[in-house]
Amino acid sequence: MRQLGELETAVMDRLWSWDRPTSVREVLDDLNRERDLAYTTVMTVMDNLHRKGLLARDRDGRAYRYRPTGSREEYTAELMEAALATGGDRTAALLRFVDRMDRAEVAALRKALEAAGRRKKGSRQ
Amino acid sequence: MIAAGLLAGCAVFAATVGGWLLCRARWPQRAPVLGIAAWQALSLSTVLAVVLAGLVLAVPRSALGGGLAELVQSCVWALRAQYGPVGPLVGAAGAALAGGVSARAGWCLVAELVASVRARRRHAALLAPIARTDQRLQALVVPHQTTAAYCLPGPAGRVVLTTGALAVLDAHQLGCVLGHERAHLRWRHHLPVGLARALHRAFPGVPLLRHADQQIAELVEMLADDAATKHGDRHSYAAALVALVEGAAPARALAAGGPAALARVRRLVAPHRPLGMLRRSVTALAILALLALPVAVAATPAFVAAQLPYCPVDVTGLT
Repeated sequence: MRQLGELETAVMDRLWSWDRPTSVREVLDDLNRERDLAYTTVMTVMDNLHRKGLLARDRDGRAYRYRPTGSREEYTAELMEAALATGGDRTAALLRFVDRMDRAEVAALRKALEAAGRRKKGSRQ
Repeated sequence: MIAAGLLAGCAVFAATVGGWLLCRARWPQRAPVLGIAAWQALSLSTVLAVVLAGLVLAVPRSALGGGLAELVQSCVWALRAQYGPVGPLVGAAGAALAGGVSARAGWCLVAELVASVRARRRHAALLAPIARTDQRLQALVVPHQTTAAYCLPGPAGRVVLTTGALAVLDAHQLGCVLGHERAHLRWRHHLPVGLARALHRAFPGVPLLRHADQQIAELVEMLADDAATKHGDRHSYAAALVALVEGAAPARALAAGGPAALARVRRLVAPHRPLGMLRRSVTALAILALLALPVAVAATPAFVAAQLPYCPVDVTGLT
């Protein structure tokens, strides 16, 4: 699982930085400068990434050419948005450290913290 | 009939006044574990009371009216007198109530469980291509400027942090935030939260279950706060909480975190005074009594009947 995740990261790093339609062979050759992977392994990883929606693909002869569906920034922002989204209809799938708030509530929070900080200093003197 | 009425009365009382009282109580913040137990016991007890009320109406007509009646006719009359004579319609309504409420609760529980496990798996799969495993922190780190910290519970529980969160926390604060998330994972905090959410979904109109859902979610955070700051500075940890909120994009729609986070910060910066041993014990006993109450009310008439000289029924076999 961790191995696979690490390989997905390596593949996406390349596709995001190259930013052009790429075949499995090209990715494999680049990865294999440092390691020794089988063609089918990389093909499976890229197929997974296609299924997860990170890669789009177009047929090119007998193989596919893959390209990222969006930028790394867009993808990450969307995923973090999904993780932190506070809606009425959410499951207890994730436990967040703290939920998001609107500006007024954040200000109230800062105020409570600073008031306590002043009290603390006051009691020390 | 009396038992069914009592049980229904208990359920209505617990679902309205009980929830309201526990909402106003201050002690759960001083003993979050007991607070969670109290909310859970009150919720389960209420649902159980409704199910038992239905069963009490249904049972004299079916089980006791059938096989056992042939054995000890007089005893059945005694039992009937105790539980009150009910018509076939009332009996059927009782059975429908008991069956319906149990089925609805069970179904929503399973649905919540399945949906959470799926959502977690999906999220982990989507994280894999971008997150890096940090061996030192034992956490997944996502390169992004927003300040997020959360955990994915389950057998392969993970803590997830963004680089934005790492940037605003000092070493002590980071240790505490990781401690908070690990406490969630270690003590399986997602289970009480999921149970409360499922009951709320099953019976959305019941105020008690709505409060329980919201309060339990808040109390597990306080519980994890306590675990995280066991040996740490609570004020600096509260500052970390505020920094993480400030670094995240503000909520656009209805925010869920406002009052809950404010309660946590106030609790962290105020002098820490956990509930004393005596009050803890009394509360724990009260919670156990709360759980036993519906069963006791339902079973009492049977025991009364069994005390009658002409009724040699082993009631333990009936209830």
